[in-house]
Amino acid sequence: MANTNQLKVIYGDGTLGVGGDDFHYIFNYGRGGIESLVIGGKEWCYREPKPTFWRATTDNDRGNGFSVKSAQWLGADMFSTVKSIDVKINGQLIDFPIAPENNKYSNHEYADEVAVVFHFETNTVPATPVDVTYTVQPGGSILVNAHYTGNQNLPELPVFGMRFIMPTPATRFDYEGLSGETYPDRMAGGEAGVYHVDGLPVAKYLVPQDNGVHMATKWVTITRDSVKSNMDNSKVPFSLKFAQVDQPFAFSALPYTAEEFENATHIEELPLPRRTVVSILGAVRGVGGIDSWGADVESDYHISAGEDIDLTFKIERV
Amino acid sequence: MSHENATQADIGWLDDPEVFRVNELPAHSDHRFYRTADEADAKHSSYVQNLNGDWRFAYAKDPQSRELNFYEADFDSSNFDTLRVPGLVEFAGYNQIHYINTLYPWEGKAYRRPAYTMGPNEKELGMFSEAKDNHVGQYVKKFTVDPALQGNDIRIRFEGVETAMYAWLNGHFLGYAEDSFTPHEFDLTPYLTDGENTLAVEVFNRSTASFLEDQDMFRFFGIFRDVSLIAQPAVHVEDLSIKPTVNDDFKSGKLQVGAKLAGNPAGATLQLNVTDANGQPVYETKATAESDDRIADTPFDQIHLWDNDDPYLYNLTLTVTDQSGKVLEVIPYQFGFRRIEINQDKVIMLNNKRLLIKGVNRHEWDAKSGRTITMADMKADIATFKKNNINAVRTCHYPDHISWYYLCDTNGIYMMAENNLESHGTWQKNGAVEPSDNVPGSLPQWKQAVLDRARNNYETFKNHTSIIFWSLGNESYAGDDIAAMNAYYKKVDPSRLVHYEGVFHNPKYKPQISDVESRMYASPKEISEYLDDNPQKPFILCEYMHDMGNSIGGMKSYMDLFDKYPMYQGGFIWDFIDQAVEVKDEVTGQKVLRYGGDFDDRVSDYEFSGDGLMFADRTEKPAMQEVKYYYGKY
Repeated sequence: MANTNQLKVIYGDGTLGVGGDDFHYIFNYGRGGIESLVIGGKEWCYREPKPTFWRATTDNDRGNGFSVKSAQWLGADMFSTVKSIDVKINGQLIDFPIAPENNKYSNHEYADEVAVVFHFETNTVPATPVDVTYTVQPGGSILVNAHYTGNQNLPELPVFGMRFIMPTPATRFDYEGLSGETYPDRMAGGEAGVYHVDGLPVAKYLVPQDNGVHMATKWVTITRDSVKSNMDNSKVPFSLKFAQVDQPFAFSALPYTAEEFENATHIEELPLPRRTVVSILGAVRGVGGIDSWGADVESDYHISAGEDIDLTFKIERV
Repeated sequence: MSHENATQADIGWLDDPEVFRVNELPAHSDHRFYRTADEADAKHSSYVQNLNGDWRFAYAKDPQSRELNFYEADFDSSNFDTLRVPGLVEFAGYNQIHYINTLYPWEGKAYRRPAYTMGPNEKELGMFSEAKDNHVGQYVKKFTVDPALQGNDIRIRFEGVETAMYAWLNGHFLGYAEDSFTPHEFDLTPYLTDGENTLAVEVFNRSTASFLEDQDMFRFFGIFRDVSLIAQPAVHVEDLSIKPTVNDDFKSGKLQVGAKLAGNPAGATLQLNVTDANGQPVYETKATAESDDRIADTPFDQIHLWDNDDPYLYNLTLTVTDQSGKVLEVIPYQFGFRRIEINQDKVIMLNNKRLLIKGVNRHEWDAKSGRTITMADMKADIATFKKNNINAVRTCHYPDHISWYYLCDTNGIYMMAENNLESHGTWQKNGAVEPSDNVPGSLPQWKQAVLDRARNNYETFKNHTSIIFWSLGNESYAGDDIAAMNAYYKKVDPSRLVHYEGVFHNPKYKPQISDVESRMYASPKEISEYLDDNPQKPFILCEYMHDMGNSIGGMKSYMDLFDKYPMYQGGFIWDFIDQAVEVKDEVTGQKVLRYGGDFDDRVSDYEFSGDGLMFADRTEKPAMQEVKYYYGKY
């Protein structure tokens, strides 16, 4: 019997399973990401996490034409695809473990560390690589690295990060960072501290638009009290934590995707909240404010497409 | 004006920019007066009878469809509807709610050029009086004069009516008024009866005044502020002038008080008392009513200055007694000592300290009732100002409810008191400056109308300590007429500064118009360019940081200008509260907020109506913490 800190690895035919004491993760090769992330019996994935490139057009974005100029990133947000996948066991790249390659494994395979790298390509012209690496560590923590490869021929980005969609709405979230909604060019008024937010509030701008970003965050914990499983009616809250590794990150926790916000002209047109959309962001464009009919966001708060962006954070049980 | 003492209404006045007030009593200070000191303490005057409430109402889609004789004393209005006064016609469902920003509300539906802009003979007769889009509200109110008012001269006061109104009492024509946001008063005395009286008011949605009221707002009409009967004592202070001045040592000052009396002043006495904020007497004097309108001109050896941090007010009480010693009226008014000036370095100084404007533009707004707002709305706004370090307000772009001025006095809010004037659609089209049909411009036929607006604003609010700037209006270009408004303020009130931004687009008027260089939405770089290039006037942003939706990014670059340029004096964020209308969602039944275009109103500027630091339900937008931080830092 392997020591309990080790990860059990299931070399499946379409997936790679990685499990431990009270967690089990499934990386789906065909779907291109984590299909299942179960901790303490609770599922955290509604659909696979993906890189995110879009924010719902703000009034200022509309006024200065930013979302028109950068419209390619909306397509990238919705339709970027995985071109190839690598699996690394204990830091070593292995031959891709599908049949017949995986015939050599058993139901008793263990490792200290399992990494799966999804090589995305953006649906832009030109395309550019985005590599997303999940490294499952002993005990079940997942180190996530998303790396955007700069390309000067692409328009400026609205955001860059990873978007997680959870099966049910969060009842609360807690974070250590700045008070209120903050953006790179509007964060001086945010006071550092540990904050608790009930539910998944949406800032009720007349036309739904990007909202709820929290800059300079050390960690955020999402708490839910329900799952979709027909055999689990418990209302006992359970939580998942996203934590910084080296650098703080920005995040939003909302009931909707950028595309859902984008399509609504009034807040009441948004669907009933059914899920939790958590975006962990490595780069955020400022909101601007000189005027709403043409003035650009100050240049310090643009996201150049020409430079690499690297985002690393950790997913942990609570 | 030749129409004074008119005994018949003329619908043609709607078309004539030279007719804007007929038989209105002259504008005067907004002081309240009471029968006794106890009434004054209780802030309830038995000289005033409130006429708010349910009025009879008929809506006509155009002037041709209206009841021509509805004002007659024996007209049977029993089949009229009922409408709440004050209130806007649109909120009662009669007229389409409509939002548009700079273009005129008839864009795409009616072709109009303001009278005389296309030539001295182009009077444009019938433009409004015969217009299919000129909706009409006919109001009838039956009332009996309260016993407490009887035996006195009695006037009626309308505090706000959009856009043009005619009034009759018991079938007698009272008068005509424009300028939607300042009070209109008419003398009822000759026509009142002891029993039931019938007041008839006809409100037109459009007139030549519409060209002067093209503010970025929902376009409404109706009697939207309070209506009252006011009885005048036999001797009455018709106009009060309080002029506290601060000496060069900023420790002592002078108080001048003047009163213009109405009635028969023979034998009457005016007792003036001033107490400090703690109620301790600091000055008193007595004057006879006939003597002069100057009842005090006295040094104050020690003064406590008024400012945002310490809005210290003195309490003035003027008591008028008749020759038998009977008190006729008691007038309380609070005033403060403060001094606003531009120093030799061209820096605006308040009480000898550089003025830093950390302001907002504030439209009057209530999501449930539009520009009919409540005292609770105003108090909530003041509380929001104080909580978030907002120290200044621009009454964009019209005079506000009278109570707002008192609240700004007592809370130390620096006010830019703006005239009711914006003619945006006559000079800027699709963003380009094109003033070929601009009004008022330099047209003599429009000059008196805008001067009247300046006079109404000054005379009504002149005693408010909070006002440190008079603003000539918003986005109306510049010409001789606005220059005349500037000259008017300079003549009547050397103690305050005059502001106007529109001269930026016609800079040859800069020597005549505005004490400050005012811009809107200039970038920090453009401001630096002005301030680095031998600036002639101190700089103010009358609008900046356009808070539409998720905005207020980059505020630091503006705040840094405070540190770099003494002549940069700050600005007013656009704006304080979203203009959005609360309705019941047709699908879910929930209360929701709607913006321009949501009422099938076309042509519209849609969500541009929502640029506030507050959502329309008076909850703070997330950006407020940024404003609080930077406004608190300076």
